[in-house]
Amino acid sequence: MNKIIKVAGTGLTKFGELWNQSLYDLAKEASLEAIRESGLTINQIEATFVANMIHGKLSGQDHLGALVASSLGLKGASFRIEGACASGGLAVHLAIQSLLAGTYKNVLVVGVEKMTDVPTADIATALMGAGSEIERKAGLTFPALYALMAKAHMQKYGTTRKHMANVSIKNHYHASLNEKAQFPYEVTMEKVLESPIISTPFTLFDASPISDGAAAVVLSSQMRSFASSSVEDGGKGVYITGSAVATDTVDLASRKSLLEIAATKDASQKALKQAGVEIKDIKVAEVHDCFTIAEILAMEDLGFCSKGRGGEFVEKGTTKLGGRMPVNTSGGLKACGHPVAATGIKQIIEVTHQLQKRAGKRQVMGANIGLTHNVGGTGGTVVVHILQS
Amino acid sequence: MNSPVTIWRDHKNLHNYLNKIGRVIVWTKILVPPTGFEHEAPYLVGIIQFSRERRPLQIVDCDEKDLKLNQKVITVIRKIGKAKSEDVIEYGVKVKPI
Repeated sequence: MNKIIKVAGTGLTKFGELWNQSLYDLAKEASLEAIRESGLTINQIEATFVANMIHGKLSGQDHLGALVASSLGLKGASFRIEGACASGGLAVHLAIQSLLAGTYKNVLVVGVEKMTDVPTADIATALMGAGSEIERKAGLTFPALYALMAKAHMQKYGTTRKHMANVSIKNHYHASLNEKAQFPYEVTMEKVLESPIISTPFTLFDASPISDGAAAVVLSSQMRSFASSSVEDGGKGVYITGSAVATDTVDLASRKSLLEIAATKDASQKALKQAGVEIKDIKVAEVHDCFTIAEILAMEDLGFCSKGRGGEFVEKGTTKLGGRMPVNTSGGLKACGHPVAATGIKQIIEVTHQLQKRAGKRQVMGANIGLTHNVGGTGGTVVVHILQS
Repeated sequence: MNSPVTIWRDHKNLHNYLNKIGRVIVWTKILVPPTGFEHEAPYLVGIIQFSRERRPLQIVDCDEKDLKLNQKVITVIRKIGKAKSEDVIEYGVKVKPI
């Protein structure tokens, strides 16, 4: 895919416990910011893609495509997209397909979630809608499912609790530089290891939080005609040059291996091929660190390091700002927050800002190619995007 | 919890999963449970390798300190979650060490 799909505008709310804002307030704030930044008018937005996972389950309110679009005064096509925690990435992927097909030229993609209005047990139950029936009957939760993957990794490769804690410490450091983050402060090794256990071997600080928030992008087709391949804009724009989705079993136990997320490999290889780049060309990445082991698995499955070495890769500081390959400069899901359907779009925004050299204290020097990695469930759905300036 | 008709349908197949012997390939102890399992926490859940498949199942009648990798287990029928006083009680498959 050449430089056809431009990230024309971005909008992001603060992530956190935002009790004075409704789902619609959040979606509106992010969307209007993205439209304003794009320089387009409301009337030029032809379609709205709304990513949301659990609002219908928690509030009884569905039909979010039309509800969000109409609250913005948009009258064109509207869609609600659900793919568990990969809902945001999926919405971006589908929006891109609509632009490549030539159906629309300018679209809004907004991911929004309001999770802190209900008790934690209700959220844990609602999120398990992304798991399988047999997992729900076993009393499993997502922390427990990823804990099983972590224990398998520890057994096979000798990955340690400290390896995993390093992910949390690094991402909290990055979040301390991000005013939009839910937890903009640093944590220590002791804090991570000694916090309450949620599911062995994980403590609370191995897990991403329950969050409210919204993220929005305006995507524009830069095609002159259906037959054209690309246009130049003086190098000022950021383009999505690769977009791929891969699928695996929803049930973790049915997978060929507990030591990897195979759909990450499939989606990343497709996306890199579309973009015409290799993994070694990536200068900055936002990956799906819903739990600390997930970032270690992502490093291995995306090909940043060899299988079984993800813990050491993070421990060496390679993925910290200033390191060779900064990962999750936003603070990731762990510390920036994880309003589930907003996450995949927030990742696109963070990488876009990095490539536009507007990431402030979190700026990665020389960033010109970036990657985003958004996972649904334990890897039943994976979406990978490649962005280039 | 599941509807009465779903429970009725699932119960008809329970016998297919009884007295199966497997081994525990990985497990976790859950301290923060989902709705309906609060009364059981903390509890153990493992991925159990059977001859033809792997399944995630609760491990009962066992302390974590006594559990070891490749522990042999057998399937048993137990209550799933906690039914309210007028709900249909749901049963399902769990494993216990042998």
